[in-house]
Amino acid sequence: MAKDMEQLYQERLKRYVTAMRNEKPDMIPIRPFVAEFTAKYAGYTCQEVTHDYEKAFAAARKCAADFDWDAVVGNMVYVWTGLTQAIGMKYYAVPGIDISPNIGFQYIEPPEENAFMKPDEYDQLIEDPTGFLYNVWLPRVSSDVAAEGQPSLYRNNLSFLKGGMAMLSYFNAFGKQNELLRTESGTVSAISGILKAPFDIIADKLRGYLGLVADVMEQPDKVLAACEALMPHLTYIALSGADPSKNVPIGFWMHRGCVPFFSHEHFNKFYWPTLKPIIEEIWAQGHQVLFYAEGNWDAHLKSIASLPEKSIVYHVDQGDIFKVHKVLGERFCISGGIPNWLLATGTPDEVRQYCKKVIDGVASDGGYIMDASAIVQDDAKIENIKALTDFTREYGVY
Amino acid sequence: MSKQKKSKKKPGVCIPWEEKKKELPKISGDEQLVRKVWQDIDALGYMYIWQCLLSF
Repeated sequence: MAKDMEQLYQERLKRYVTAMRNEKPDMIPIRPFVAEFTAKYAGYTCQEVTHDYEKAFAAARKCAADFDWDAVVGNMVYVWTGLTQAIGMKYYAVPGIDISPNIGFQYIEPPEENAFMKPDEYDQLIEDPTGFLYNVWLPRVSSDVAAEGQPSLYRNNLSFLKGGMAMLSYFNAFGKQNELLRTESGTVSAISGILKAPFDIIADKLRGYLGLVADVMEQPDKVLAACEALMPHLTYIALSGADPSKNVPIGFWMHRGCVPFFSHEHFNKFYWPTLKPIIEEIWAQGHQVLFYAEGNWDAHLKSIASLPEKSIVYHVDQGDIFKVHKVLGERFCISGGIPNWLLATGTPDEVRQYCKKVIDGVASDGGYIMDASAIVQDDAKIENIKALTDFTREYGVY
Repeated sequence: MSKQKKSKKKPGVCIPWEEKKKELPKISGDEQLVRKVWQDIDALGYMYIWQCLLSF
């Protein structure tokens, strides 16, 4: 049995990697990014899979064992709120504490006046990003970390010890989880490592979206310099978590750097020039990046097309997957495009029809990976996920 | 990294070895060993804050 499972794993890995290199595998790989859906399927609450990562891991493995999927993320309910609560992070609404145990965790962006970085602090960030994060950012986002010059008390000291130990234990547990996925169900771990764009990070975690909107108009040179200062660090972190065997891509989560959140001019001035060199560097070191294009990035496809051939996998959320295929399909593998609303409200027949439309439109020459548009939460119907899976297996054979 | 600007503060480093070394007495043993262990553990501190920013 173990040998058969390893054989299945190798077949799936070959299928997944072949598609990601924009080539034609034996059949279309299926790689659903299932998050709170795993809780629904395995009989857990959102609170359980968010706050207890062992339950999240178990739910992910149960799905991987029961569905014929080639690759999954070991835990797509990625934010372990046990850790964030232990260090007093303020920007999460935690299921079972701040919100219902049946609702997925929420990110809370503070009001503009309470942004975690003030508009006159760019120089500090630019001078020493790591020092700024420790000395300025962390005390603001954590109720348990003392700011510089403040008394360091019991809880302040504990925060770093607990946070560091918890992070190590969580990240180390992914190693065992990936091994169990391989040996129990022959499933590939879909991504390795994390990347976010400098411009997105400033909006998400530092200045807030509204703060950054003001800054690009009022102090554009500072914004650009801050993005540039973040680049080497984000590159380093991305590469430090990359797959040593260079099979699976680094996950790149794209947030609010696109039209209409920002203009074309701002994208071209801030977002793209401080992202593209990171992707080129990562590719030069032999790693692909999965562009998880949350929202609609169709306005920027020409820029994305300028990246080195095969350097990325482009995941389609709200964008027009047929347009994406037309612009990017010659150069990169594409994934996704099955609307989450359809998985939540449609019928299995409607899901099958939509999958057929996407496969017919973009997958005929390979270079396509079946997935929902966005991360699959607990609104998706189980019968619709089964329909997506079974139809792709039947119809997606080359 | 050729297209990226050189930062004053290197990635992977919180407290550079050169700065720590000034605090130590003359190292009679294997300095490279002391340096490597310092840098390896210092990198964990670096990883912690950047993962807090990116992953959590």
